[in-house]
Amino acid sequence: MAECHPVAFRWVSQAKLQGAKLIHVDPRFTRTSALADIHAPVRAGSDIAFLGGMINHVINSERWNTEPFFKEYVVNYTNAATIINAEFKDTEDLDGLFSGLGEYKEGAWGLNGFVGQYDNKTWQYEAAPVGDQGRTANTGQSGEQPVESGQPGAEPAPAPPGPPYDPLIQAMPRPTPNRDPSLQDPRCVFQILKKHYSRYTPEMVERVTGCPRDRFVQVAETLLQNSGPDRTSAFCYAVAWTQHTTGVQMIGAAALLQLLLGNIGRPGGGVMALRGHATIQGSTDIPTLYHSIHGYMPHPTALKKHNSVAEYLQTETLPKGFWSGMPKFFVSYLKSMYGDAATPQNDFGFAWHPRIAGDHSHMPMMLAMSEGRVKGMFAMGQNPAVGGQNAGFQRKALAKLEWLVVKDNFETETAAFWRTSPEVKNGQLKMEEIQTEVFLFPSAQVAEMDGSYTNTQRLVKWHHKAVDPPGDCRSDPWFTYHLGKRLKAMYAGSTAPRDQGFLNLVWNFEPNPEEVADSRIKDEPSVYAMMREINGFQTATGEHLKAIGDIKDDGSTTCASWIYCGVYPEEGRLLAASREPDPDPLPGANLNWGYSWPSNRRVIYNRASARPDGQPWSERKKWIWWDPTKGDPAKNEKGKWVGYDVPDFPPAKAPDTPADPNGIGMAAHSGTDPFILKADGKGWLFTPTGLVDGPLPTHYEPVETPVKNPLYSQQNNPVYKNWAREGNEIAPPEDPSYPYVLSTYRLTEHHLSGVMSRWLPWLAELQPELFAEISPELAEEKEINNTDMIRIITPRGEIQAKALVTPRLQPLMVADKTIHHVGLPWHWGYQGLVTGAVVNDLSSLIGDPNVSMHEGKSFVCNVEKA
Amino acid sequence: MAQTAQGTPATPAASTPSGETSFPAGTPIIVEGTPALGGSPMPGGSPPPPGTPVGAMIGTPAALETPAENTAAFPAAVPFDAVPMGFYTDTTVCIGCKACEVACKEWNGLSSYNGGVNVLSGDSYDNTRHLDGQHWRHVKFIEQFDNTNQGRQGRWLMMSDVCKHCVQAGCMDVCPTGAIIRTEFDTVVIQSDVCNGCRACIGACPFGVIEINPTNNTAMKCTLCYDRMQAGLTPACAQACPTASIQFGAIDDLKQSAQQRLEQLQSLGETRAQLYGADDKIVGGLNSFYLLVDEPEVYGLPASPQLPSRNVPTSGLMSTAGAVAMGVLGLVGLRKRRMDQFAAERAGTGQRDEEVTGD
Amino acid sequence: MTSIGSIGSLVLAQTPPSDTFYTHAPEWTWLIVVYFFVGGIAGGAAFLGAMLDLFGAPQDRPLARLAYVVSLPLIAIGGPLLIWDLNRPERFWHMFIQSETGRPMFKYWSPISFGAWGVGVFGLFIFLAAVGTLAELGHLPASLRLLREGVVGKAVSALAGLFGLFVAGYTGILLAATNRPLWADTTLLGLLFLLSSISAAAAVLILLSWRWGHQGSVHWLAEMDVYSSLLELVTLIVLVISLGSVALEVWGNGWGVLLLVGTVLIGILLPLALHFRPHLAGRMSLPSAAALVLIGAFVLRAVVVLSSEAV
Repeated sequence: MAECHPVAFRWVSQAKLQGAKLIHVDPRFTRTSALADIHAPVRAGSDIAFLGGMINHVINSERWNTEPFFKEYVVNYTNAATIINAEFKDTEDLDGLFSGLGEYKEGAWGLNGFVGQYDNKTWQYEAAPVGDQGRTANTGQSGEQPVESGQPGAEPAPAPPGPPYDPLIQAMPRPTPNRDPSLQDPRCVFQILKKHYSRYTPEMVERVTGCPRDRFVQVAETLLQNSGPDRTSAFCYAVAWTQHTTGVQMIGAAALLQLLLGNIGRPGGGVMALRGHATIQGSTDIPTLYHSIHGYMPHPTALKKHNSVAEYLQTETLPKGFWSGMPKFFVSYLKSMYGDAATPQNDFGFAWHPRIAGDHSHMPMMLAMSEGRVKGMFAMGQNPAVGGQNAGFQRKALAKLEWLVVKDNFETETAAFWRTSPEVKNGQLKMEEIQTEVFLFPSAQVAEMDGSYTNTQRLVKWHHKAVDPPGDCRSDPWFTYHLGKRLKAMYAGSTAPRDQGFLNLVWNFEPNPEEVADSRIKDEPSVYAMMREINGFQTATGEHLKAIGDIKDDGSTTCASWIYCGVYPEEGRLLAASREPDPDPLPGANLNWGYSWPSNRRVIYNRASARPDGQPWSERKKWIWWDPTKGDPAKNEKGKWVGYDVPDFPPAKAPDTPADPNGIGMAAHSGTDPFILKADGKGWLFTPTGLVDGPLPTHYEPVETPVKNPLYSQQNNPVYKNWAREGNEIAPPEDPSYPYVLSTYRLTEHHLSGVMSRWLPWLAELQPELFAEISPELAEEKEINNTDMIRIITPRGEIQAKALVTPRLQPLMVADKTIHHVGLPWHWGYQGLVTGAVVNDLSSLIGDPNVSMHEGKSFVCNVEKA
Repeated sequence: MAQTAQGTPATPAASTPSGETSFPAGTPIIVEGTPALGGSPMPGGSPPPPGTPVGAMIGTPAALETPAENTAAFPAAVPFDAVPMGFYTDTTVCIGCKACEVACKEWNGLSSYNGGVNVLSGDSYDNTRHLDGQHWRHVKFIEQFDNTNQGRQGRWLMMSDVCKHCVQAGCMDVCPTGAIIRTEFDTVVIQSDVCNGCRACIGACPFGVIEINPTNNTAMKCTLCYDRMQAGLTPACAQACPTASIQFGAIDDLKQSAQQRLEQLQSLGETRAQLYGADDKIVGGLNSFYLLVDEPEVYGLPASPQLPSRNVPTSGLMSTAGAVAMGVLGLVGLRKRRMDQFAAERAGTGQRDEEVTGD
Repeated sequence: MTSIGSIGSLVLAQTPPSDTFYTHAPEWTWLIVVYFFVGGIAGGAAFLGAMLDLFGAPQDRPLARLAYVVSLPLIAIGGPLLIWDLNRPERFWHMFIQSETGRPMFKYWSPISFGAWGVGVFGLFIFLAAVGTLAELGHLPASLRLLREGVVGKAVSALAGLFGLFVAGYTGILLAATNRPLWADTTLLGLLFLLSSISAAAAVLILLSWRWGHQGSVHWLAEMDVYSSLLELVTLIVLVISLGSVALEVWGNGWGVLLLVGTVLIGILLPLALHFRPHLAGRMSLPSAAALVLIGAFVLRAVVVLSSEAV
């Protein structure tokens, strides 16, 4: 965190100055480790073994079993007590597999890449069928072919039309899962997970991770002692957890542990995703993701029953909890897309909306490109020639494009692939044969435009333009807006059905003259108009929506992203731009500093910060609580939720409110169900739906690994994504040709592929050359001296780097073998002020089955002196 | 000692294209100072008596207390009170991010080694190596690990180094042009438009802070952002430091918080924790002082640095003695020669001068 | 495993012998070495000339004249070397006049400041002495002989000699007024340079006059050379002993060998041997010894300046 998020680390430093303990678990001793009280070295990719060991340690500890807080939190706020389907088989029963594994058959798209697939029917809550608890991923189904109607396997009743869509929700089955609050039933979640993690002993943790067991126990104990009614602990992770074929499960394991420790929904708790760069959170809220539309609604797909708004809603809406509002969010979203053209009569233009047909994430798209199936590409602030996995493969794919638009600050490696890439230098690509037409557009910098950032804790913050960009440099909004305008002009008058959606797209962000009065660029689109559309407004009057509750399902409201509703409650009052800190003394939630979606809630699920009876768990950790004196008698309220934060809960719903078995939405939840986005209102220790690779995090080896899985005979994730291609060879487990674990990472001094840093002398001189960090032990073994040039070899490629021999790397004893790590920061490329080999030439195109994330944090290599 | 009143124009001094720092006309300066021979309690130009106490300014200019017309992010341009100001660097929270190095360069318009095309040093993550004319901030990295190869433990010490703004400043003592001055904030500043590049200050600095800046060919170092301070702004490095490792403020306040932090660390069992330069034992005190968790030498700091002028009186005495000795020997020689000559003349064997004169 | 922990913790591995090892070199190199050499000879020559002038016999006057005439060009070379060595030579005058106020710039506690003034004043008096000398010799108007006559003449000679001594020795103090290894670790460099300058100046005058100079004058110069060489040797020995581990660090290498061979052996011991055993080189003993002394003096300055710069 100190290494890659130095600014966010200021809060950690401040906590440290107040006596907080900092633990760092990382294969390397980094700048974060330097500030940590405990550094626990682990082998890259063994995180679930470490986390599973902590789960096992916690639930078998004396403190957890005697301090009443833990049981009270877990029984009431998580699904620990929920009974699971009798047919469910755990990894303990099937030696590393869950029940339901079958073969995966590729569909028409052909690039989903799964090596297997689970049917999650047996993972469900007893008495609650598939789909009731959450959505399955859009590409997790076998043999995906465009469907005319219906979801494979299930055939629900025909969807009642709307609006209004309440009858549709009412018609959906809403069974209540069975629970055993004593947690004794062998089929309850708690007993299943207890058994599941029983083999994750400290000895096993040491054997799998290489972390000395006393260090592991020290970590687990510190965390346990620092959790409870008056103390909380937080987890922070960055891409080191996401970039694995088990990445989603790693983060799930952390969430599971935090739920067991009562660290969710409480101040100072949680699992913080430190994103890859600025406003990555924002780019998933209003997404660049292929599989979701604004506000985490599933992208309409050709693979499910999505033929009408009603069908889409019937397939995707959860009838219980806050997601039951999806008809409102979705219809208002369609209004933001097609404006006046979206009417109840034409199903709000739903037919115009694009559909997905498979996994269109980055790696499959580059594979499709390599097959000549992609004609053009926009790379705006993206540099796949350096940042893409198996970058050599991706550069060769770029040569198959007809056109490539790069909009960036400098001529990136992607823009220059056709003239300076290693493939052109070594003759694999011939410059004269590359037909790709490359357009390079100069980009404005962040300080040269107004806009917003959304930070990891969902905090939306406005930034103001400082100066006009120089010359022809233009902002991304300018480029996109004017491109859209010109395309609209080109398509004007077309009667082709496929063009109607584009022609009806609302595309009017003309600036208010005041906004551009001080600027040279008079046609800069209005980002305030964009924020207005994101926030939402009354379709008829244009009046801004004030809160999510204002959103309607009949087209009378327009709202692009329901989760942002309220950020701009009236003209001239953009809450993202507010900068008023709370007065001392703390604690305070600083509610007037930026705006945190949804509804400015700073701690999500914060109902859990109070006991089931509504009183704070402790004075020290109180955040919101039930005040029986604050109710409005006129509204027949028994009290109000009050506190430092905005309650993430119906504001007047008393703690003793029972769940209405016939209710929809929030009425289906009781007054003790904090997890309002979940159908059952509970935090999920066990994940019955939504994940394609298992309901409980399980340690599998990385796909490329020097060891056999010490925990199970199942070696790796049984359903990961593997795109076997020439040029994307994968080393089998324990391949003696590639004995070392390779991890790629970033340095504080550079940013991503270096476009924002390697061109800057001030930053370039701080880390001028590519290096590979190795331990003195490995250096001695290979007779490598500090700063010697070395070769690093994987099945995909070979690069050269200078060796940085440092005791900060150490060999780990894993499964009776000494495992060496090779650490490679990946900021260098063949363009810019300081250049170096592209580290991602070594990595591979394989993916996590849930999110198609690559495994750049853990693969294997060999090292030789050059 | 010339010292003019405070209340200078608030124009932040600009770095001119030539890279020279120049300060607004009427800048109050204290020229040359007085000698600060080793051990002398006389500092090189004592600062003005403390005025109104200012609060501990850790990244927050005191000027914020004054109602300002401009309520935007920029504080009003009100210079700080003329009391000793400086840095307290708490190395225990330094994360080695080098934001200070970059912020310093950005504000002061400093160049980079070879235009940025530097060479990997191989010494931990330190590639800028030391303070010099174009690096006024420098982060040191010290790797300390034990020899076990299973579960190796150790420390990675980091420290952002900078000019110490010594209360008795050796550089200022030796400077023959008066380019090095002491400001109303008791900081030490090189006026690059006065410096002629004799480089005496480079060798005089006990900490190896100063070097020639290749852009304007004069000796340069940290000014403690004198231009920013005059406008009531926190120095760029302290402003950029994300972890409050670099704290800026009135020295008296900084010393207090440093003392508290020292006690906290010691109570947590960090017995190696020590302050460096927070008292007057090191060249009269450092207006940029440090909290360390090892001996100063580990951080590349001299344990007991001294003023360059300490050697001058003795050296002068020695040389004078030598000169006197040679003079006396010369006189004795001449005298002896004359006596010999008399003796020879008396013996009738003397030569006459004129016979051998060559002109 | 010995390599572990050695990377990046070099600071730990060896603590330097002195606090002077934490500093930066001012990059005073060949220009300064040459200046120290010629300036020292100029100062030493002025001193020797003044001694002969003020306290010698009439037959010493030719050598005194020679000393002044030699001294002037040497300091005229040395001064510009100093200016040339500045990074901003066009601002050399900032050492004498405050560029902002126009007032004189003088710091009596800064060797480089008072040194600059010292060299300047010396330059003035040696100029006057040399002008007077040239007038005496008929190369300049006779009225200028005033500078060599009477009270004025005595004063000019005395001041040239005194400031000559200053110029001969202050350079060592200049080095000592730093925090550099070797230079600041001793207070003997001023003395060392003073003695070496006198010996080198004597050597130059001997070389220029041994064929024609009055035997008594040349003999006196040779005596001065011997005295200063002997004292220099003693000073050097005391210096090395007092430096202790610093000497080992700075001179425990090629520089030490160069000093031993170039200065001690060639520049001091051999000339002394030739002096006390003149039959070794016969008639050439005197000039040979003088030439060797010059080599030694140059090597001494080169080693003292450059070995510290090399740390």
